[in-house]
Amino acid sequence: MPISAVSSPIQGAGLGLKRELIPQIQHLYQDPSIANINFVEIAPENWLGAGGKALHDLAWFAERYPIACHGLCLSLGGPDPLNTTFLKQVKSFLSAYKIPLYTEHLSYCSDTYHGEGGYLYDLLPIPFTEEAVHYVAKRIRQTQDILGQRIAVENASFYAACPISSMDEITFLKAVLEEADCWLHLDINNIYVNSVNFGFDAHTFLRQIPGERIVYGHIAGHFQQSPDLLIDTHGKDVIDPVWTLLDSAYALFGTFPTLLERDSNIPPLSSLIAEVNRIAYYQAQYEHQGVNQLTLPTALAAVS
Amino acid sequence: MTDVLPDFQQYQMAFTAHIRNPALHGKPANVPEKRMAVYRDAIFNNFLTTVSACFPVCQQVLGARGWKTLVRRFVAEYAAKTPIFKDIPFEFVQFLGRLEDIPVYLTELAHYEWVELEVTHQLTQTQPCSAVPDFLNEVPQFSAHQLLAYAYPVHQISKKNIPREKTTTYLLVYRNATFSVKFMALNPVTYHLLSLLKAQPLSGRQALKLLATELGQSDPTAILQFGHEILLDLARQEVFMGTSKMV
Repeated sequence: MPISAVSSPIQGAGLGLKRELIPQIQHLYQDPSIANINFVEIAPENWLGAGGKALHDLAWFAERYPIACHGLCLSLGGPDPLNTTFLKQVKSFLSAYKIPLYTEHLSYCSDTYHGEGGYLYDLLPIPFTEEAVHYVAKRIRQTQDILGQRIAVENASFYAACPISSMDEITFLKAVLEEADCWLHLDINNIYVNSVNFGFDAHTFLRQIPGERIVYGHIAGHFQQSPDLLIDTHGKDVIDPVWTLLDSAYALFGTFPTLLERDSNIPPLSSLIAEVNRIAYYQAQYEHQGVNQLTLPTALAAVS
Repeated sequence: MTDVLPDFQQYQMAFTAHIRNPALHGKPANVPEKRMAVYRDAIFNNFLTTVSACFPVCQQVLGARGWKTLVRRFVAEYAAKTPIFKDIPFEFVQFLGRLEDIPVYLTELAHYEWVELEVTHQLTQTQPCSAVPDFLNEVPQFSAHQLLAYAYPVHQISKKNIPREKTTTYLLVYRNATFSVKFMALNPVTYHLLSLLKAQPLSGRQALKLLATELGQSDPTAILQFGHEILLDLARQEVFMGTSKMV
């Protein structure tokens, strides 16, 4: 199918493109009520190899919205070899749909099982050790070499601290970003979730983030399983302490394109849009104050 | 082998081994049970949801407990190769194909249920079709489809209808112009005709003459007339997108 994708930059506020939302966005396209959806985000794992109706829908969006790609299965920290076949498929996909940004998680989702690499399709915690820093950074560099562009790596949420870790999360994150020389995809909700799950101060963590590497952000809701255990379900509204963290992040680092993730228990677009509007509202506060803004067009120069 | 791995990877392997098969592999030392359970449950439930969505009849046939047991074995015994979510059900079909302790009709049923997903996403080769189709003199162009032959009547299986014996069953699963996936039982002759059309680019007439020869009919007139009607009927049901000129 010929694609005439738009190639405008990722900026402002965006919304994760779930199948349930597609007809609603199509119906309200160019309606002022959804004007704050400046871009959409998809997981390549949900769309690679799609045909029929799904391909038709993807082409519709590619012609009308900038698209960001947020991967789930690259398994940057996985013990099995990096799946370069898959990565090459991702590269073609990014090129076909003129997608400027590909981000992945600082986690792993595969193992070596009975001597074969196998996927588990969930985000698992990498132990925070020196060896792991070098290993993951090398795989990020390998990814960037294959794609011919920088990727952004997201701070992941997790639930079980690895007893063998020799450093804390922020130290690990900074070390990987530095050694891989990649961008940061800052997930605000994940900072909050981990701060509760592991008892640290979210704002202290945020202040240590290398702001110059941020190119993209996520915000989402989570599920409180118990007072000391939050599960990153993306299934509820964003809570106020997380909005406050986003506001603080903009205050500290300037605004960055930010996407609302909603993956389960998805309300109608008419109510979900309030959260997209709230992202746009915070961004407008700082843009009006002239805070230094880091936007993708300048940051997205290919790695040479 | 594992003793040459760095510590963090040994830990990762222990972590996933426990998630896959907690009965066989204890959790890594000093990880709180409540936290470990989050991963165990999330991963199993992800697999269960993904696989259940594609195989409702298999699930019904096995019952809730039998189905869960099978999905647990999938997580515990199989290394899924695809990073692409829509291909996970095919991994499940491949996993079932390796099992020697489940009935063949169940493996075939799972394949048949997976075909719906495959046809949903199948890419079609778009040969330009003539403005007015001619099913005798031009090459019929299939919509996205799979032409299938099973040893059991998989399309009739339900909890109350478990096949006792083999009955060779011919089925066509295809996608119509409005992206709906349709199912059709075929008689052996129609199955054979469609197989001939799939094997190489033949006009309807060429395929029907070949069919007549194979059926030992020296005069193809009756088969040509009958077969043309079959092709037109299949076209009305959107099995074909149209016809294109012989190259």
